[in-house]
Amino acid sequence: MKHIKAFLVVAGWPGLLGQIALGTTLLGASAFAGDVRVIANPSVKADSISARELKSLYLEEKNSLNGTHVEPVIERRGPAHEAFLHDYLGQTDDELQKYYQALVFTGRGLMPKTVSSDAEVVAYVARTRGAIGYVDTGASLEGVKTLAIADSSGGERQLVSRVEPAYPKDLQQRSIGGTVRLKVVIAANGSVEHVDVLGGNPILGESAAAAVQKWKYAAAGSRTTMEISVPFDPKH
Amino acid sequence: MFRRVARLLLFCLCAGQIQLHAQDFKLFDRDVQVHGFVSQGYVYTSGNNWLSMTTNGDGSAAYTDMGLNMSSSITDKLRVGAQVYDRNLGQLGQYHPQLDWAFADYRFASWFGVRGGKVKTVLGLYNDTQDLDFLHTFALLPQSIYPTDLRDVTLAHLGGDIYGDIRLSDHLGTLSYTAYAGHRNDSIYDGYPLLLQSQGVYLKTQGGLQYGADLRWKTPLKGLLVGLSRINQDITATGLTVNQLDPAGPLEAFSSTSKAVWTNQFYGQYGKGKLRIDSEYRRFFTNFGASSGNTNDVRAWYVSGAYRIIKKIEVGSYYSHYTIESVYYGPIALVVPSQTDTSLPANHVYDKVITARVDINRFWNVKLEGHFMDGYGVSTYPDGFYPQVNPQGFKNNTNALVIKTGLHF
Repeated sequence: MKHIKAFLVVAGWPGLLGQIALGTTLLGASAFAGDVRVIANPSVKADSISARELKSLYLEEKNSLNGTHVEPVIERRGPAHEAFLHDYLGQTDDELQKYYQALVFTGRGLMPKTVSSDAEVVAYVARTRGAIGYVDTGASLEGVKTLAIADSSGGERQLVSRVEPAYPKDLQQRSIGGTVRLKVVIAANGSVEHVDVLGGNPILGESAAAAVQKWKYAAAGSRTTMEISVPFDPKH
Repeated sequence: MFRRVARLLLFCLCAGQIQLHAQDFKLFDRDVQVHGFVSQGYVYTSGNNWLSMTTNGDGSAAYTDMGLNMSSSITDKLRVGAQVYDRNLGQLGQYHPQLDWAFADYRFASWFGVRGGKVKTVLGLYNDTQDLDFLHTFALLPQSIYPTDLRDVTLAHLGGDIYGDIRLSDHLGTLSYTAYAGHRNDSIYDGYPLLLQSQGVYLKTQGGLQYGADLRWKTPLKGLLVGLSRINQDITATGLTVNQLDPAGPLEAFSSTSKAVWTNQFYGQYGKGKLRIDSEYRRFFTNFGASSGNTNDVRAWYVSGAYRIIKKIEVGSYYSHYTIESVYYGPIALVVPSQTDTSLPANHVYDKVITARVDINRFWNVKLEGHFMDGYGVSTYPDGFYPQVNPQGFKNNTNALVIKTGLHF
């Protein structure tokens, strides 16, 4: 065993034995490590994007959003990357890399721009027309805009008027932020019938739900249920 | 054997020191991406020599392949690219590089796009990615359906595809379709020409029209994909052959045209977390001849499972089932008997496989794989076993150890 340990250390795998030992307990653990915010270059003609659209863009099934050519950028690693994969693509990093490699090596797609940190994502998105990316909610957002996420189920609805949620001062002063996930039931006439908090800080959830209750959507043929995310950034 | 394994390990260690990065450059103000891969394998067998290598005894490291591609987006919807591929697998490939794919792709919308040029053929789960070792858990994909010695038979066509993704609804999932037509042009360094050489036939060309379609359904059950594919091919082979009445005399012209060549394939894939399960069924039918000729009816299937234990290690196993029935008709049937008993080892290969894949880093992997094969399936169509490297005749069972390492960027 001593020899195996020595080889693994030489091979640059000092943590491997520990991983194997803990393997079964880690298997079920989620890689999800934090909240994520989707950002875009100001040239992108959209203020929100559905989770389905976001997934299609990152899987190169489509490359435009509201008529704007869009170029996704990915992070090589990190909490925002893990959270984005978990929340929006439903894939592990290994699966995503293999997906892109299959596209690249059969000629059916290109490898997306890959950078190493939130700061690099923001810098690239800020200077590249049509670029979209994702960063941790705490990242500086200079030169980019944030896209609201709407996970639709049963159809998409266009937001007509929006009331910003109040940020409880106590939480903001203590730099407590994050993203709240809400399930919203929208009546056919566009008014919000019901809001449930699905995840996030409960105090922020209460504030977000109170604001969303006042939102107004475009009228549609029937009632719609949507899942939306509302970010709270203590720096803004 | 140990010297060869040591050489392989040395290759791995050297390769591990190389920092691999995709290379991008600008051409006419457009970004051009360059990617490539290389793999090196070693195969040792008991029983028969395998895959046209002399694998029995010391084993063989004559198992190398590589590819290099360049791609670029010309406009938001138009993309162009090309890949060169080269390999040496025993007596196959022999380092004669091929244009693997080279095409222009215009995507009008997510539901409709067109490609033109030399295009990899979409057939089943892995036909178009079968050479891309780094994408797969296994060193060798199930040989009943993806025989590496016969890769040219279904690999690519010079022609065009239409393709797209149609989202049905949140409750019904997504349908992806590809339909294509073009010309297949086989390398003379592939397995079928090699088998014919053992029968005194030396092919110069083999190819013809092929057309087909693939339809796959990403079901609403997360991780479950099912699909079906069909190809029709119209193949002509030309070359020279030994005069059976005067074997010592000059070679004669040879030509053979298919009456029917088709493949049906059905497949399913399920992935959940670190577990992935694949299964496919393929029926491959050929009928070559006129008033006298031969049909081959290959029925193959496999079930495989792979599980990633930790980030760097994945293990997997599959069972691969291959049978072939060869029937002669017309006057030739009077002298060559048909082979329809698939219980005979000459007409089947049943392969049980276990694998471990280690990802050293994002660019470098090593695989260790054991094959336990019953049968050698070499009647009129090959499946890994060739008379040229088994002159003493075939044994019923073959066990194989495959060690393979690959780099990509």
